[in-house]
Amino acid sequence: MSRSRRIRAEATAAWHSFLRRKTAVFFTFFFPVLLVVIFGVLVRTQPTDGGLFAEPAGYYLPGYLATVVLFTPLSRVGSEIARHRDDNRFEKLATTPLTRGEWLLAHTAVNVLIIGLASLLILGLVLLLTTASVPPVVGLLLLLPFIVLAVVLFCGFGALLGRLADSQDGVIAASNTIALPLLFLSDTFITLDQLPAWFGPLVDLSPLTYFARGVRAITYTPGEPYATELGVLAALAVAFFVAGAYAIPRTD
Amino acid sequence: MHEALVATDVTKRYGETVALDGVDLSVADGEVFGLIGPNGAGKTTLVRALTGTTAVDGEVRVQDRHPTDVDADRVGLLPQSFSPPTRLTARELIDYYGGLYETARDTDEILSTVGLAETADSWYETLSGGQQRRVCVGIALVNDPDVLFLDEPTTGIDPAGRRSLWSVLETLADGGTTILLTSHSMAEVQRLSDRVGLLRDGQLVAVGTPDELIADHGGGSRLVIDTDASEAAADALADAGFAATAEPTAVVVDNVSPVDIGDAVDALSAADLPYESLTWSEPTLEDVYLQLTGESFEGAGSRSATATPAVDSTAETDTAATQEGRQ
Repeated sequence: MSRSRRIRAEATAAWHSFLRRKTAVFFTFFFPVLLVVIFGVLVRTQPTDGGLFAEPAGYYLPGYLATVVLFTPLSRVGSEIARHRDDNRFEKLATTPLTRGEWLLAHTAVNVLIIGLASLLILGLVLLLTTASVPPVVGLLLLLPFIVLAVVLFCGFGALLGRLADSQDGVIAASNTIALPLLFLSDTFITLDQLPAWFGPLVDLSPLTYFARGVRAITYTPGEPYATELGVLAALAVAFFVAGAYAIPRTD
Repeated sequence: MHEALVATDVTKRYGETVALDGVDLSVADGEVFGLIGPNGAGKTTLVRALTGTTAVDGEVRVQDRHPTDVDADRVGLLPQSFSPPTRLTARELIDYYGGLYETARDTDEILSTVGLAETADSWYETLSGGQQRRVCVGIALVNDPDVLFLDEPTTGIDPAGRRSLWSVLETLADGGTTILLTSHSMAEVQRLSDRVGLLRDGQLVAVGTPDELIADHGGGSRLVIDTDASEAAADALADAGFAATAEPTAVVVDNVSPVDIGDAVDALSAADLPYESLTWSEPTLEDVYLQLTGESFEGAGSRSATATPAVDSTAETDTAATQEGRQ
């Protein structure tokens, strides 16, 4: 009971803090809009031309979703940790009953909510602005565990970045440097046959690959199995969450 | 009496820098202990050692346990330079931190206690510096702690707000809360603390009640006479049996009791020497601080003027008598 009370208190404070940063709210949701408009509407897919964006529009839905699932938790959790450290908030929290795991769980819950809303926005825009089709609502519900697990995973990753970087600027620079190659080299926007053969095993090392392949199995190639992707993603989510919680500063 | 806080041979090093050097300290249940010392003396590091937020060599016990094993519901902390989420209101912040504990005091009661009932629904970032610090004090009180650590709680608070918070802390102390307080306001520490410890270069160089420290290290009472004829005035006072020292625009007479002030005035009158004012003061904790830290600057002979650059001189406990002189 008191554990849920603590997590609710932390999550409520984090949610209100986010909502009251209008610039953060605007760009959190404007970013996916921009992405779909640029790649889905302006560039458009050219299935017969080869090269980038040569697959049908529906193929790239996992990539659009991966963008918010990857960038938002990495930068938000990392920056939040840097901000907490700068303001001595962890020193205060270390003397309360709130544990590091509870803190990360609360902030992960807020990110799940934010990214869930952004994902809905992306789905709506892709349906509205491109030729892609998505499965019915029941099928879309299968996306939920993938989105939740990926957010958990990258919140843990963000906590690690926040611990390692010594400032908010450092967190943003580090998260961009890590997220950009992950985004394009995780079977999202670039197909495996566009990459050198030797690079294939490296793609399998990216956690985002399992998110993209699982989401694609649900939205683009229904009937294709995705249990392995879900299992790997769940295992990685647990591992990164535990590592991230452990990395949250408690002492100087 | 049972000891709520115990530090035994506590040492903390940051590379080559020794922040704490074998500190021994004990604070009894219900005691208010004031920690003073120059910037960098180790006050905040000692607070962090006692709250378990920094690892140290030596032994630290809080309510008979290691600081990280203490029931967190019973401990309160206001860290130095602490800032909570800035876009929450004062009320939301009290609710938020209260939600982290098993039970919490009523939010409106806390807001009223720290004098923020009128601005409870303003965002933290829109409050003045003093109001923000009062929110932080409210946050530290939210779980009604048995042991309270306050690292410079009144920094940035105006005199009226400061006195209001002193009353809050006095009420807590009367209720049996153990308080460890750091401050650069000697008046604050002298008023609130049962005992005071002075840290210098990571070592606890003096511990005692304010009266004990003043008696041991504060020197005697002092009469400062502002006059342009300071040399002649010093000679006249010396002839009358006073230990007088001439300074450029004043004469300083040490160890003068209030009943002797009249004799000093008579001596100046007899020599027909003009003066602008007389200021008599007793030694305070500020004098102890300056004596033990070796901090001072060249200036006028008054105690407060001497102390100005080193400490907050809100010395309402100074006993001062000023008399306008003849011209």
